[in-house]
Amino acid sequence: MKKKSEKESSSEVLSKLEGLGKEMLEDIDVGEAPRFECPLRSRGNILYDENLGYIKLGEKRETRTFLNVGQAKKFMQTVAVASKCKKFLKEDSHTSIRGLFYQLKFSLGENVDEELFSEQSESNPLVEDLEVALDVKREDLNLNTDRKGVVAGNLVLKDKFGGVTDEIDCSKQGRSGWMIPSDVDNGMEFVSVDANYVIVVEKDALWQRLNEDKFWKKENCILITPKGQASRGCRRLIRKLADTKLPVYCFTDCDAWGWYIYWTIKTGSMNLAYLGSDIATPEAKFIGVTMRDIVDYDFLGKLTIKTKEVDLKRAEEMLTYPWITAHKEWVEELKTVIATKKKLEQDALQGPRLSFVGDYIREKLEKKKFLP
Amino acid sequence: MGGEMMEEEKEPEKEVNGSEIFKEFKEYSVVEFFKKNRQMLGFAGKVRSLTTIVHEYCTNALDATEEAHILPEIMVKVEELPDEHVKVTIQDNGPGIPPSHLGKAMGMMLAGTKFHRYMQQRGQQGIGGAGCTLFSQITTGKPTRMRSGLGDGKVYECDMKIDVKNNQPVITNQIEFMGNFRGLRVEAEFAEVKYDKSEHGVYEYLKRTAMANPHAQITLIEPTGEKHVFQRVSDRIPEKPAEIQPHPLGITTGDLVDMAHRTDSRKLSSFLTNTFSRMSSAKVEELAKLVPTVNFEKHPRDLKWPEAEAVVNSVKTLKWIAPPTDALRPIGSDQIDKALKNILAPEFVSVSERRPKVFRGGIPFMVEAAIAYGGNSGRARSDEGRGGDIIRYANRVPLMFDGGSCAITEAVKNIDWKRYDVRDFDKEPVTVFANFVSVHVPYTGTGKQAITMEEEIVGEIRYAIMEVARDMQVYLRGKVREMDKETKKKIIMRYVKELSADLADLAGTGAPADIEKKLVNMIETKYEKIEGEAEEAVEEVKEVEENEKEE
Repeated sequence: MKKKSEKESSSEVLSKLEGLGKEMLEDIDVGEAPRFECPLRSRGNILYDENLGYIKLGEKRETRTFLNVGQAKKFMQTVAVASKCKKFLKEDSHTSIRGLFYQLKFSLGENVDEELFSEQSESNPLVEDLEVALDVKREDLNLNTDRKGVVAGNLVLKDKFGGVTDEIDCSKQGRSGWMIPSDVDNGMEFVSVDANYVIVVEKDALWQRLNEDKFWKKENCILITPKGQASRGCRRLIRKLADTKLPVYCFTDCDAWGWYIYWTIKTGSMNLAYLGSDIATPEAKFIGVTMRDIVDYDFLGKLTIKTKEVDLKRAEEMLTYPWITAHKEWVEELKTVIATKKKLEQDALQGPRLSFVGDYIREKLEKKKFLP
Repeated sequence: MGGEMMEEEKEPEKEVNGSEIFKEFKEYSVVEFFKKNRQMLGFAGKVRSLTTIVHEYCTNALDATEEAHILPEIMVKVEELPDEHVKVTIQDNGPGIPPSHLGKAMGMMLAGTKFHRYMQQRGQQGIGGAGCTLFSQITTGKPTRMRSGLGDGKVYECDMKIDVKNNQPVITNQIEFMGNFRGLRVEAEFAEVKYDKSEHGVYEYLKRTAMANPHAQITLIEPTGEKHVFQRVSDRIPEKPAEIQPHPLGITTGDLVDMAHRTDSRKLSSFLTNTFSRMSSAKVEELAKLVPTVNFEKHPRDLKWPEAEAVVNSVKTLKWIAPPTDALRPIGSDQIDKALKNILAPEFVSVSERRPKVFRGGIPFMVEAAIAYGGNSGRARSDEGRGGDIIRYANRVPLMFDGGSCAITEAVKNIDWKRYDVRDFDKEPVTVFANFVSVHVPYTGTGKQAITMEEEIVGEIRYAIMEVARDMQVYLRGKVREMDKETKKKIIMRYVKELSADLADLAGTGAPADIEKKLVNMIETKYEKIEGEAEEAVEEVKEVEENEKEE
């Protein structure tokens, strides 16, 4: 898949959508069944690209035609979704995928006991099909995703929205930081990025701790929290910052959930394999918390907690991923967790004193103690 | 003391002190107890009471024939008499009961043979045959007529009542004559019961019993005179369940108090090691350390409810070797297959084959699930159609009530039926069959009509049902493929109008009416292009399931 331009202008997306419709009409004109083709998004076509360092879709494609009884309805639904997105673009209005579903939930006619869509679970995958087929992102179709994640630091952006352009200075967002929108591409661009590195902190509580300690000012870094699992917008922002040649460091709990957050940021996820190149940041590094920290910092030994079943299961599972087992440091970490049945939260670093969190990050970076 | 009546007393409301109940119980008359605890004994509501009566007799018949290695033939007749009385006649071809034991079995509360053994059996549920005798007596004042033959050329008949003060059988009108009858026949009259054909009624109960017991031939004669025969389809008599000692993890406070009061052991410690599997003296010592307030040297009879509760709670904190799984007695997938085909005459049946699992850290159980589609599958709906039906069993006994709080219902509800091409479970001719097999069935209450919704139980039931649902989907998809071209054309035609309008909008060119005409023309003329595929979509479903497991 080609690397997408940062900004897919809405007129380009519009012509892609129209082009899709026109091809179908041409099929019909020559007496062929209209068809819709897109890369296959199922497990069998998801692979990890060692050279690129992220999870992406393979070469397999699927074709849906209207004259196949098993596919006719899905075909019609796909066209309905495409046509509705075109309308949103023309009107320059945005909605969520749930909003889209409600726009398309209606009866197919008086004498047909069937709805165009009766469940959102039918329309969601079709949106993803359109994204891959047209090589655009959901946001390019004027479909918003949930906003999640907060940033602070010496980063200035331009935000064109509703006909107004605002300049946003992420160093002047006070105690709460700037909330990362669902779309950081369309109508959004960096004005200046003046920092030495990016640090991604799993928990909001720790972000607030570091913000209060003026950590990003002292260190001249960009401080981000995805507040748990990173949203599409948040992952895209991290990718874009990495594109400006800033190193990216992740700081999460030493448990299943924390590791999952890190690996999703680094290699992308199976669900969003088709967006791999846009949202994965393979150059990201993991600074902690790690099991080895217990050796380096005595007090942490007393602050471990017992693992849950899910942590061990996830750890076992991660040991089956080739992109993780390629790193012996991670294998060691995972095996230690499984053997000791203990885990560690990043909050534990506040044990000796609250501001120790910043010292910990500083020391880790100075000594280059991070995991790949 | 002890017996089936007491067993119903286990797991009482938490506030009641168990030992108190036991003390007072001696002074209660049996009738008193019965009246006070009717609902607990299954006599709540007129329809339910009748189902309970039939259940008690049928269970006895099935267990007795199984033990005697006889292929059961059971006849149930329900008649409506004046004054809203109902007469129930049940006859089996079992081994019969010797006259010397008949009084004890049917005219004395708490004197069953089952309760003293511990195995995966149908019984241990309600109040037994004597309970029915009593219920008849207190609602109509009449005795129950018994006929028993051992197959030795002599037949014995008598009227049976219970002397409620002394809990003794009162036998009158005894006769003995020559005849070839073998088995047991009971005729009893009841009031405060009602026959109807609802999903909780006798007809449904017997139908479900037949579905789980394909080796039995069951006949029902309804009050209208209509006769239903659930034919035997298998000559294989189920293996006798192995008798095993109860495992400590399966025990409830009520059980423990109850057993302690019946044991021959003289010390609590020896009672524990003698009664439970995997309970060594080392384990008892461990327990004793955990509950220092209990004297393990005292007589088991002196075990108080709070003490028993403390012991049971501590048992859960210890590690135990799992009980043997070979005591599980499933119905068997080929037997279920035969039974469902016989009773439901469905288009399609699939039965799961799964290995035993454990719950609560060590109690083995097994789930047998099956799905039937078409024919008489599903339940009749008021609008003449058929809707999805869930039939639940614990150790092949049908669970007829309290479906809403049962793990099996929960598992069915948790399945996304659309994935299996069932658009609306309540509107498809589908029967989901699930049998929970275990020596310890974790019922939700004393009524024993629902299995508790424990995560590992609901999960396993769900997977078992998903396994068979997948097979059904392949069948349903195959049906679509087999449809003739005309039907396929009709299906595609439904979507032409909407597609034409959307396509014109999307392309920004072309008139919807024009596109519609071309599409209709194409569908009408190009038969050979129309196709349908099933396998591909089924693969998709499997994948979704795998993803789910991963999450």
